[in-house]
Amino acid sequence: MEIPFQIALWGVRLAFLLVLYLFLIRAFGALWRALRAEGELAARPAAAYLVVQTSYPQGPRVSERLPLRVVSAIGRDAGNDVVINDEAASARHALIEHSDGAWWVADQGSTNGTLLNGARIARRERLRDGDLVEIGRVGMRFEAAR
Amino acid sequence: MRLRPAFRGTELGLLVWVALLVALGFAAVVGAETEKLDAASLAVPLAYLSVALALHLFLVARGFRGDQLLLPLALGLTGVGLVLVERLAPAALLVQQLTWTIVGAGAFAAAMLIPRDLTAFARYKYTWAIAGIVLLLSPLLPVIGREINGARIWIGLGDILNFQPAEGVKILLVIFFASYLEENRELLARPPQRLGPFAIPPLVYLVPIVLMWALAMGVMVLQKDLGATLIFFGIFLAMLYLATGRATYPALGLVFFLAGAFVMARLFAHVEARVDIWLHPFAEELRFGPAYQIVQALFALGNAGLLGAGLGGGMPERIPIVWSDFVFAAFTEETGFAGALALLALYLVLVFRGMSIALRAPTPFLQLLAAGLSFTLAFQTLVIVAGNARLIPLTGVTLPFLSYGGSSLVTNFVIVALLLRVSDITRRVRGG
Repeated sequence: MEIPFQIALWGVRLAFLLVLYLFLIRAFGALWRALRAEGELAARPAAAYLVVQTSYPQGPRVSERLPLRVVSAIGRDAGNDVVINDEAASARHALIEHSDGAWWVADQGSTNGTLLNGARIARRERLRDGDLVEIGRVGMRFEAAR
Repeated sequence: MRLRPAFRGTELGLLVWVALLVALGFAAVVGAETEKLDAASLAVPLAYLSVALALHLFLVARGFRGDQLLLPLALGLTGVGLVLVERLAPAALLVQQLTWTIVGAGAFAAAMLIPRDLTAFARYKYTWAIAGIVLLLSPLLPVIGREINGARIWIGLGDILNFQPAEGVKILLVIFFASYLEENRELLARPPQRLGPFAIPPLVYLVPIVLMWALAMGVMVLQKDLGATLIFFGIFLAMLYLATGRATYPALGLVFFLAGAFVMARLFAHVEARVDIWLHPFAEELRFGPAYQIVQALFALGNAGLLGAGLGGGMPERIPIVWSDFVFAAFTEETGFAGALALLALYLVLVFRGMSIALRAPTPFLQLLAAGLSFTLAFQTLVIVAGNARLIPLTGVTLPFLSYGGSSLVTNFVIVALLLRVSDITRRVRGG
């Protein structure tokens, strides 16, 4: 039995709308999964911390634990991962990152420099558990988890 | 080497639906036209899908591990756009649009590779600003400048390859604003001074707003391009707000813009005409004259109903130049409220994904870049859809990915590529 052309055409038209909605639902699903995965990632505990040793009156509290990400920007600007709102700190002061199985600290061309265990660093330096990092008037002990 | 191929299952899965969607769309449109359903209608979808698959395989081969949602969404919308070009435009335009799709795919691939370090963009910010302004003003030059349908916004050589530089300028502006605001936002975000009950930012901070406003108004006067003016100024205000969190800036900018637009409407006949058409489309002297286009579009929307007239079954060809300014009205007439709703929801997912990439991006520059690009897509969709529905005066901007038009398609593919790259950087920095 032959299907009348008009009915077949409407079948194709409605199938188009149906597939449009299925595509939309799949896209929603993918968006939902992507956002959830990213949310879980953000909630995962940090692998390392900076523990504040010395500070200034309005600065971070002494013994506060500042969590570090795989890459953390440190500086005065509010866009940093670790914000140090001290006049002696530059807007983008330093970067701490985990790569090649180790932690590293690098100065980002700050005015007053970044001190590692009391010495101003020139390039990227390896960070070890218990190292003292000083930025502006804030001194912090690096503490790797495990 | 880090060029290990990466399996992108979500993307591939979504592309299967894109393939089905485009094939069914072409079958319906060609079927309604030729009064038979046959496999010949699938030639164009197959050509298009091979381009789509090539882009997917390009990302897989490059070992690209960023977002998997944006590319299928963009390709899905572009595919629906091809269906509409087949339905609405003269046959020659379909070939052109398919060619532009391939150019767009090439531009996408190029933007995925160059520059190797995306943050290098931020270093040359004034170069981008100057390049943007030169590009914007290039249609005013003799020889290469073109005036089409009353707007001098095209450049071209010979009869083909007409390009609207204002499209590409959007990306340059977003890059410039992102780097400028990353550097100056602390200054701009400072609490404003108080003058009695009014909070006013110090005068120097108004300089960029005034400059940008002057530029926007200049474009309006010199090129008669209302759409570009609105888009540029909207991008600027949105990014200023995103960077500073101060609502004073967009509020002030809006007042400036409305004041400027009001004066323009009084001074220039073409602006005044647009407003008249918007307010009184059915007026005796307008409805068969300059308002004919919007009147026909309103009839098209009014006839849509829940499921529409069916693809190929309506009369959208009664709207002059329907394939560029009125694709939304045409799509709604033939797929109804159901189709329009799904279409707008797809744009919403696209923009939402872009904004979520912006939120996670590791540096202010990348955040502002991704947010600015996403906002560009969202704002443009809003302006043209609202224009089609006569909620605001119609301005000639394209519906991203859907309208016929090469410059717009290429630009939007580059926008998607940049968003993907930001998501890739985020993934490498934050893990996941």
